[in-house]
Amino acid sequence: MSGFEPRIVAFLCRWCASAGADLAGTNRLAYPPNAIPIRVNCSGRVEPQWVVEALKAGADGVLIGGCHPGDCHYVAGNYKARRRVYLLRKVLAELGIEPERVRLEWVSATEGARFAQVMSDFVAELKRLGPLHGNGGPK
Amino acid sequence: MKLAVYWTGSCGGCDVAFLELGPALLDLLPKLEIVFWPALVDAKRADLEKLPKHGIDVALVNGVLRTTENVEMAELLREKSRWLGAFGACAHLGGVPALANPGEGIAEVVFGPGFRPAPPLGEAPEDAPPELLPEALPLEEVVPVDFVVPGCPPPAGLIARFFAVALAEEIQPGQVFAAEKALCEECPRTREERRLARLVRPHEALADPTKCLLDQGMVCLGPVTRGGCAAACPKAGMPCTGCLGPTPKAGDPALAMLSALASLVRAGEEGEPAFPEEDRILEGLVDPLGTLYKYAFAKYGRPLRRLARRRQEVRA
Ligand code: FES
Repeated sequence: MSGFEPRIVAFLCRWCASAGADLAGTNRLAYPPNAIPIRVNCSGRVEPQWVVEALKAGADGVLIGGCHPGDCHYVAGNYKARRRVYLLRKVLAELGIEPERVRLEWVSATEGARFAQVMSDFVAELKRLGPLHGNGGPK
Repeated sequence: MKLAVYWTGSCGGCDVAFLELGPALLDLLPKLEIVFWPALVDAKRADLEKLPKHGIDVALVNGVLRTTENVEMAELLREKSRWLGAFGACAHLGGVPALANPGEGIAEVVFGPGFRPAPPLGEAPEDAPPELLPEALPLEEVVPVDFVVPGCPPPAGLIARFFAVALAEEIQPGQVFAAEKALCEECPRTREERRLARLVRPHEALADPTKCLLDQGMVCLGPVTRGGCAAACPKAGMPCTGCLGPTPKAGDPALAMLSALASLVRAGEEGEPAFPEEDRILEGLVDPLGTLYKYAFAKYGRPLRRLARRRQEVRA
C-alpha cells in the first residue's frame, strides 16, 4: 500500500477541537495534511448521515473532534456524540467496514500538540487499514 | 382498468393482502380487468409478451428482485404498463429477503461450494431454475417505478386509497401511498420522553398498554417511519419495525434511528463515569442491521455494504 494517502473528513467543534487545530497551526506544529476540516458548532451536531455520506463520497476515515467531557459549550453535546459514534461503529462493523475508520477524539482549545498527535495517529491507522475505496477513489 | 399483479422474491403475503379490503372488493372487482396475476388467474409469460406496449394500465409488483428471471419480468411489465408500482416493502425497499445481502455467496453457504442451479433430472439445460443475482434488489434499481404502495403487507386502508386514486386516473409520479409524517403522529400511546436506562427486545418485557413503547426501552421505529397504518403494531403492543419505509425527513432509517436512541439513552448523571454503563445499555441493541434495516437494507444499507465487499475483493 505504498504511497497511499488516506483522505479524512474531520468534523471539529468550534469551541474546542477546531480551536485546537488552529493552535496547532499557529504553533507551526507539523502534522499530516490528510484531513478536510469542517467546523461544526458542537460534536453533538454531527449526524451519522454526514459521516456515512463522507465515507460513501470517498473518505477513508472520519474524525469527530469535540470538547473534553465536562467542557462542551452546550453541556452534553459531546456525550450524545459519543453514544452516536458507539452505535454507528456497531452498524459499520456489521456492514463489513472497519469501525476504526470513524474516530471520536476530545481536543481542547489549548491542545494544539494533541491535535497534531491525533491526526498523525489516525493517518497511521488508516494507512494500516488501507483505502476504503479499493480502487483509490469513489467511482 | 387493466390490472396486472406480479410477485418476484416474495412470501405471498402481498397477494393475500388484497383480501383485507373485505366487502369493498365486491364494488372494486367489476371495475378491474385482470390481465395478468399468477396468484389469481391462469396467464403465462407468453400471454404477457403478446400484449401491446401499454396494454396494461397499472401493474403492481411485489417482492424483491432476487433472480435473473425476476429482472426480466420486471422489465417486461415495465414495457407493457402505463403505470408501474412497487407494492409492499420488498419491491419498495428490498424488504426482509434483502437481509440476505450481507451474506457472501449465500447459495454456496446453504448448498455447499460450487453450487449452481441445475435442471431437474433428465430435463434440458434451459429448464434450470434462474440464476441468483449477486444482491437482492428493490424494483427501482432495475426499472423506473412510478409509485409505491408500501407496507409488509400494505394495510387495507392504503390499498383502498390506491385503487380510488388509480381508478380516478390521478396517480402522481413518485407518489407514495402513505403519510409523509411519522407514525408517532397517529399512535395513541403517550410519550413522556423518558430517559432509557435499558433497551429491551419485544419478547423480554410485557408492554405497558398505554405508554410509548420507545419510552419503555423497545426499539420502536415509529419516529422515523411513515404513518398510514394507524399504528397497528404499537396498538397491539409490538414496536414498529418500519415496514412503510422511512419518512422523507428521516432518510436512511437506521442512521436516523440510531441518532434517536443515542439521544435517549442515559445511565444516570451524564459524564465520563457513566460511559461504561451507557455502552452496556447501547449493547442492548442486538442485531442492529436486522432491527434498524429490517425492510430498508437493500435501498439504504447496500451502498456501504458494497463498498466493504469491493474492498475485500481488492485485498484478496
Ligand atoms: S461544543 Fe465542543 S463538543 Fe460541544
